[in-house]
Amino acid sequence: MSLAQALFYLMSFIALASAVFVAATKNLVRSVFMFFITLFALAGLYVLALADFVAITQIVIYVGGILVLILFAFMLSGKETLNAIAQQRRQFISLSKLPAILLAALFLIVLINMMLKSDADHLGWISLAIQQKNVIQPDAATTENIGVNLMTGYLLPFEAVSILLMIALVGAAHLSRKVALQ
Amino acid sequence: MISLTDFLMVSAALFCIGLYMIVSKHNAIQILIGIELMLNAANLNLVAFGKYDSLNNGGQMFALFAIVLAAATTAVALAIILNVYKKYKTIDPDRIDKLRD
Amino acid sequence: MNNFLQAIDTLTIKFALTAVLLPLLAFVFNFLLPGRKSKLAGWVSTVAILFSVVLSVSVFAKVWNTGHVVHQQVIWFTIGNTVVYAGVLLNNLSVLMLLLVSVIALPVHIYSTAYMKHDGNINRYFAYLSLFCFSMLALVVVDNLVLFYALWELVGFSSYLLIGFWFTRDKAVQANKKAFIMNRIGDIGLLTAIIIIFIQFRTFDIDSLFGSGNLMSYSGVHDGIWSLWHNLPINVRLIWPRERLVQLPSMLQYIAFGGIFLAVAAKSAQFPLHTWLPDAMEGPTSVSALIHAATMVAAGVFLLARVYPLFNDAELTILAVVGCFTAFMAASIALTQTDLKRILAYSTISQLGYMVMAMGIGAYTSSLFHLVTHAFFKCLLFLVAGIVIHQMQHIKEDNQLDIDPQNINNMGGLRKKLPFTFVVAVIGALALIGLPLTSGYLSKDGILIKSFEWTGGRSGILKVVPVIALLTTWLTAFYVTRLIVKVFFGELRLLHIKPGIKLNLSDGNWQYKLPLALLVLGCFFPLFSTNFLVYEQAWIFKGLPNAGGLERDNVYHTLVPAGVNILSILVMYGAYTIYIKRRNNPFPQKGVLFNLSFNAWYFDAVYNKVIVEPVLLLCRFAFWFDRRVVDGLVKRIAKTGIALSKLADWTDRHIVDGFLHLLVAIVKGIGNFARMFHGGKVQYYLFSMLVVILVLFILKIVI
Repeated sequence: MSLAQALFYLMSFIALASAVFVAATKNLVRSVFMFFITLFALAGLYVLALADFVAITQIVIYVGGILVLILFAFMLSGKETLNAIAQQRRQFISLSKLPAILLAALFLIVLINMMLKSDADHLGWISLAIQQKNVIQPDAATTENIGVNLMTGYLLPFEAVSILLMIALVGAAHLSRKVALQ
Repeated sequence: MISLTDFLMVSAALFCIGLYMIVSKHNAIQILIGIELMLNAANLNLVAFGKYDSLNNGGQMFALFAIVLAAATTAVALAIILNVYKKYKTIDPDRIDKLRD
Repeated sequence: MNNFLQAIDTLTIKFALTAVLLPLLAFVFNFLLPGRKSKLAGWVSTVAILFSVVLSVSVFAKVWNTGHVVHQQVIWFTIGNTVVYAGVLLNNLSVLMLLLVSVIALPVHIYSTAYMKHDGNINRYFAYLSLFCFSMLALVVVDNLVLFYALWELVGFSSYLLIGFWFTRDKAVQANKKAFIMNRIGDIGLLTAIIIIFIQFRTFDIDSLFGSGNLMSYSGVHDGIWSLWHNLPINVRLIWPRERLVQLPSMLQYIAFGGIFLAVAAKSAQFPLHTWLPDAMEGPTSVSALIHAATMVAAGVFLLARVYPLFNDAELTILAVVGCFTAFMAASIALTQTDLKRILAYSTISQLGYMVMAMGIGAYTSSLFHLVTHAFFKCLLFLVAGIVIHQMQHIKEDNQLDIDPQNINNMGGLRKKLPFTFVVAVIGALALIGLPLTSGYLSKDGILIKSFEWTGGRSGILKVVPVIALLTTWLTAFYVTRLIVKVFFGELRLLHIKPGIKLNLSDGNWQYKLPLALLVLGCFFPLFSTNFLVYEQAWIFKGLPNAGGLERDNVYHTLVPAGVNILSILVMYGAYTIYIKRRNNPFPQKGVLFNLSFNAWYFDAVYNKVIVEPVLLLCRFAFWFDRRVVDGLVKRIAKTGIALSKLADWTDRHIVDGFLHLLVAIVKGIGNFARMFHGGKVQYYLFSMLVVILVLFILKIVI
């Protein structure tokens, strides 16, 4: 077991454990904060998957943007909202979650079954890619790769995403306007 | 070395946890978090396969786009949730069933 | 000459029919009269019967003893080969009876107009009285047995109506029921006899059977077969070809006799069917006078006279014995009775017994003679009884007493208060006893003499018949004297019981006196014979056939009348002393004989126990059966029907409708189940979608 593998198991364990915690807790605040940890662990996993730019972007945008946004959204939106959010229904026992658990478990089983059956490591194009040395090396300059690709191959999605962001901005701003009292 | 299958299994597990959260949580924001989790699981999957496509780097590119879109999604979803709360005074999706039969 | 005779005959028939039908018209008129009480009713009936009397006299004069029988008939109906005629037969017997009935009916009508004056229903009374007169008059002139039977029944029915005239009284209703039922028994006998006669002779015609055609005399019982045993004369054979007569078992002849005997016993109150007559006294007294003394009860004897050729010697002997027994029994009962009308009723039974006995011993003419004279004096005595009872009723109402106006123990000394009534009553009583100078003497002694002659040549036991007849005569003398003495002589016993009551008695107006005067004429001998001692000289004997000679050929003709009358006078004196001189009554008032007599030989009690009670028991059983079993069956069927309908209802409700409700519930269930998917819960929508996808995946993997 090399260091990478040990790190991988550690990161995955942290990610999964915190994800389970996020799912299991009823307290919203706790789940949001545990999500932090999940996202960090996922960033680590990205790194181990030789996608360091993605990992950084994840931390910057996801953690620093989205999660903070969520935190701001419910913490700064008034006492009533906080109370409504904080007070979850405590009187239900976990038996009502059984169908969901069952569903998730079954999905997990189906997915894993498919993955094992498909034998991802030895897929055709992957073997071909390995042969053709099309694999990202651990010491490759991913940022340069991403920048070149973004401006050449993926220019259209890039522009489209920017328009989308603008639309989202307009929409969110409109949605949260203060309605004028009649 | 970390095999592809390991990554895939982790991603599958995260996905299912996110699925569980969507289906069973009584809080809209927790559902949102579940959606985020599922998106992240998909990202991990993308990145794992992207290792073997160095020329186009499709995996990592797509993962970037996904992150951006997730952000936009979250922003709009939060705005909606705030609006829904203003009207219905609750964010429990079980209580917002005016569109029922 | 033939045409002339035919014209006379037609006129006679017309008169006879008019005499018969006038009372019928009076009946219809009175029946249709509005209201219930109208003086017109009485006068209509009386005028009708007056005309009937006049016409009857005319018819009598034309037919009696002219040797000429008037007989006309028309075809009534045809059944197969049998033709039934309806017509009028006027021979000596018919016109005698016609005259008698109308002459007796006239005084009774006049009397009734006064007697029933205060009754509230006299329209109905006179209607029924006229109906009776019509039926009796028609009975004596019809010429065939079918019409005879119909009128026989009608006479009985009129009697029923009149006995029960005051139908609000329970006793009257019981009495008329009893009379009618007993008469019906007689009717059955008569019908049987008519049918048997028809089987043998194939005709209903009285004249050809018993009269001038005299078919009866050509047949007889021989060796157990009843058939012809003479050659038929030519004129008869033309009508009745020999082949049509059959040989019947002799039992049928005896049954025919039995039927006739039953009819006579029922109508003329002979043993054993005599118990209805004393009870029939519940009707008005004028009715009793007309029907139950003089005319209807004489119909039985009239029947005997009509069918006389039917009987053979043994049957006649039976008639004689029964008649004699009845006479004796009734006389013995009359000795102790206290009700005025009942004494007279038993006396009637006794005298009818005499008549039947006379028929039995062959004294055909004497019997009919006695019938005629008896009609007069018995009707007279009844009318007298009516007046006496009427006066006692006045006393009762004036003083508000609670006595029985018919009880002779309450009467006495009435000869001073009702002198006219007293005189006629004594004359009638003497006629009933049969003393010389009265008509009753002539008729009764004829019977007694003949009865002694009849025993010659017969078996020893039958010799007691005339002796009993003689005994009955003396008993008659005793009880008649008792009656007269108790009612008219002595002092009014009621005053001893209830002193200080007011008495306002009188004889009554001309409507009471005239009938009595008319009838008393018939109690004397001049109406019937010029010789008051010798009965054979009576004009009746010249008209009617006699079964034996009229010659005074033996000592009986002198001995019997003398002995009877002397002893009768002695008995009368004895009765007078007992009841007036107030010596202690030598006869025991309490013993077995007294009870036997007082309770009418217990016949009523026996009939009640033996016949009436079982019939009532049968009725009760039939009622119970009808109620429980028949109705029970119907109820059970009804219950079954109801149960079935309840079952059908349950089935309809629960199974048929239930099926529909089940369908509805299924659809509702499916609908409700499907509705669950539209709960409005987003997570649920997502969940269902994922379940489907999962199922698809699993199926893909597994299959």
